[in-house]
Amino acid sequence: MENRLIDDRHIDFLLYEVVDAESLCELSYFSDHGRDTFSLYLQQARKLAREVLYPTYRTLDLEPPELKDGAVRVHPELEKILPRMVDLGVVSATRPYEVGGQQLPFLIFGMANAYLMAANLAAYGYLGLTTGAARLIESFGSEDLKSQYMKRMYSGEWTGTMALTEPQAGSSLADVATRAVLTDEGHYLLSGTKIFLSGGDHGITDNIVHMALARIEGAPAGIKGVSLFVVPKKRFDGEDLVDNDCVVSGLFHKIGWRGLPSISLTFGDRGDCRGYLVGEAHQGIRYMFQMMNEARLMVGLNGASTASAGYLEALRYAQDRPQGRRLKGREPGAPQVPIIEHADVRRMLLRQKAIVEGGFALLAKASALQDRGEHADDERERERASLLLDLLTPIAKSFPAEWGFEANTLSVQVHGGYGYTSEYLPEAWWRDQKLNSIHEGTTGIHGLDLLGRKVMMKGGQPLMLLGEAIAESVAAAHEAGVEGAWCEALQAAVATVGELTAHLGGLGMAGDPEGMLLHSDDYLSLLSIVVVAWQWVDMAAAAKRGLARGEDTERAFYEGKLYAAQYWIATELPKTTVLAELCRTGEDSYVRIDALSF
Amino acid sequence: MKILVALKRVADPDNANKVKIPADGSTIDTAGLEFKPNPFDEYALETALRLTEDGTKPKVRDGEVIVVTFGPADTESTLRAALATGADRAIRVDANDDQLDGLLVAKGLKTLVAEEKPDIVLMGKQAVDGDTNQVGQALAELLDWPMATFAATIEEQEDGLVVGREVDGGVLELSIKYPAVVTVDLRIVSPSSVYSTKTDRSFKYNEGVRFSPLPAIMQARRKPLDTKSLADLVDDTGLKINYLRFEAPPARLAGVKVADAAELVDKLKNEAKVL
Ligand SMILES: Cc1cc2nc3c(=O)[nH]c(=O)nc-3n(C[C@H](O)[C@H](O)[C@H](O)COP(=O)(O)OP(=O)(O)OC[C@H]3O[C@@H](n4cnc5c(N)ncnc54)[C@H](O)[C@@H]3O)c2cc1C
Repeated sequence: MENRLIDDRHIDFLLYEVVDAESLCELSYFSDHGRDTFSLYLQQARKLAREVLYPTYRTLDLEPPELKDGAVRVHPELEKILPRMVDLGVVSATRPYEVGGQQLPFLIFGMANAYLMAANLAAYGYLGLTTGAARLIESFGSEDLKSQYMKRMYSGEWTGTMALTEPQAGSSLADVATRAVLTDEGHYLLSGTKIFLSGGDHGITDNIVHMALARIEGAPAGIKGVSLFVVPKKRFDGEDLVDNDCVVSGLFHKIGWRGLPSISLTFGDRGDCRGYLVGEAHQGIRYMFQMMNEARLMVGLNGASTASAGYLEALRYAQDRPQGRRLKGREPGAPQVPIIEHADVRRMLLRQKAIVEGGFALLAKASALQDRGEHADDERERERASLLLDLLTPIAKSFPAEWGFEANTLSVQVHGGYGYTSEYLPEAWWRDQKLNSIHEGTTGIHGLDLLGRKVMMKGGQPLMLLGEAIAESVAAAHEAGVEGAWCEALQAAVATVGELTAHLGGLGMAGDPEGMLLHSDDYLSLLSIVVVAWQWVDMAAAAKRGLARGEDTERAFYEGKLYAAQYWIATELPKTTVLAELCRTGEDSYVRIDALSF
Repeated sequence: MKILVALKRVADPDNANKVKIPADGSTIDTAGLEFKPNPFDEYALETALRLTEDGTKPKVRDGEVIVVTFGPADTESTLRAALATGADRAIRVDANDDQLDGLLVAKGLKTLVAEEKPDIVLMGKQAVDGDTNQVGQALAELLDWPMATFAATIEEQEDGLVVGREVDGGVLELSIKYPAVVTVDLRIVSPSSVYSTKTDRSFKYNEGVRFSPLPAIMQARRKPLDTKSLADLVDDTGLKINYLRFEAPPARLAGVKVADAAELVDKLKNEAKVL
């Protein structure tokens, strides 16, 4: 049987037995939806992923884009695939009716699009970027920008990009140096070079719309002097489209996402690159930030999907590959057993399952918060959902990326020597996955963001909300008959997080931000383990409820959840003690070591 | 052009291993099974949509496509999916699977045809659960209409269809006049197998059945879906086919590995006796 990429039953379980997706339809924004529209959209995405996107995955990986005569040419298959994704309504699905969207919950959008990502991450990338870019115009742009650019992006006629990074400004966007000079005609003239621009040139659509960060002449230094511009590849001259002086100055050779070009792009070589200011001057970073939760959840979905494809491939392989014999009762000449019989292979499989399914569960929860944060009819509910989401976002982005990378490593490992060859797919997903800990903020930056900002925000309110949410889950788990010890272990870890955070916050207040943030990455790991343990307790409760319904055909499915929950709680949660100790004591080897001593 | 498409939902053949038969063999236990539309009926719907459009402008419908299924209330999701794919309206004839057989469905369809007066009735050549391959033929007989089964290609003409039928050793072309019954085979969803008079012959469809865009999924909620009772359509609802007993096919025996081609030939000759 073919790799299904993502387990449908698991996604349905999350939607209808864990996070209650249907309850979103009570919000007026989603009131035209119901389980029927959700499942039809999911069905379509699953089918498109399996029948159209996945069969071309390896082809795109093997034949990356080329730069010829100043233009990027991508694989011709993309000309067929992209319109089919666009036709499904992928680009604008969550957006309001007024802009051509269908007001689909982000939760459903994310879980459905995860299949497209699992099937062909690079191909999906073009549209994911387009949605993000169009959203910026929708939220902050003028009516003109909306009718000229946003509409054509949401309809899939043109694609969009994010043009933020520059050679000296990667993690530190405060250092963006692209210049924008206001002209008498009201537009700006841009000059500068952007790098790593994904989907920056491709030749599939007539036009590409870059959302570029630049500094208006005379703007204050730092983050408060960066503005956001629409910089189209071709701009309007009356009704016509004319070249807008964006020159492809390089094409990166990448190790993953090879169907999607990443380029460097130079604005204004001829002094004729027009940019149109989005919203107000100097607000660029603030605007980006407002869109960031969603963009980061999308990266988390990239990670969980890529890990899932690898996991299901490894599972299939382990069932088919005969090698070795059981430890007990081995007889010479007895047939070899499939490797899934070996304890160590099972360890690798269950670990992947715990990461993949735990990751999707976290993303489902975060996505539902995103929906409520934006569309709950009650203002207080919106506020609470957004605060909790702010806290969960760095984890929902980096857990699937970091642990997902480990899962993809295990998928290669399960394949043994074959996994190390390009005859098999796990190595390709492994390469794809690595990007997810780098783009949309590196893991290092997210650790700093989590400990330095998120948990300290608003007097620690987000962390309190997290504590409350976990306490609710634990109560429900008790009621469902989940192992008491699991619940206690989770609550003990939550208590540790609370004390530790108060301690580190104290250091910050006492003027020692370096001491506070010394182990920000360990803190991120610690909270990630706890938050995912919370997901497993939730899933264990849902599984218990499922088992109580007593359907025979579902037994194996629900029991699988309980074993994965046990695994996570028994093997990962204890690690939080060590991590907390590192954060608390400020183990200082790597800061004290002299650069010469490395 | 008005087309009636008969659509059945079947237990997902990918889940065949979940089919359970109780020890007394009296029935097939469908608990926990997933259902999906019979693939050949999905092809019939795709065919109907291709016949009622210009392939280059699939958003503009030209004609009416009505889907009908016989089944309990939960089969409405199958009909909604068909509406999302592009059908204009739907009819569900309320009945449980064990109250139906091929002839009864054909009789029910006959009454619906009298009410709806379609130019064509389309359906799959067979349903992949029972594989009986009867309803289309029985319906054509009851209606006394021309019929073409196993269609691999269809070309619309002014007053009828040219149908390429899958037959042993090739494709047989038939010209039939409206109104007619057509049952379709696998290749009917190839890129250039169905042409309406509006669609240019150089146009090529995507392989397979079309997808339902999200806006169409939303619209499907507002399209009409009528329910009728079987007794309203058929006087005698007694079954002509009675199932006596169900049995699972024998489990497949494990294979053996042969050392070389010579051993294989030997086994084929002397054990299997096929050479
Ligand atoms: C394939 C690909 C596609 C991309 N697509 C896009 C795109 O479409 N648009 C776009 O704008 N950008 C894109 N990027 C750029 C990406 O977002 C950046 O690479 C990323 O933000 C990191 O910046 P950098 O590469 O300059 O690394 P650096 O910022 O130089 O980071 C190097 C290392 O230093 C660490 N570090 C940096 N600053 C700090 C600090 N203050 N504290 C602690 N640690 C720190 C980082 O965590 C990292 O480990 C893409 C990158 C790649 C590889």
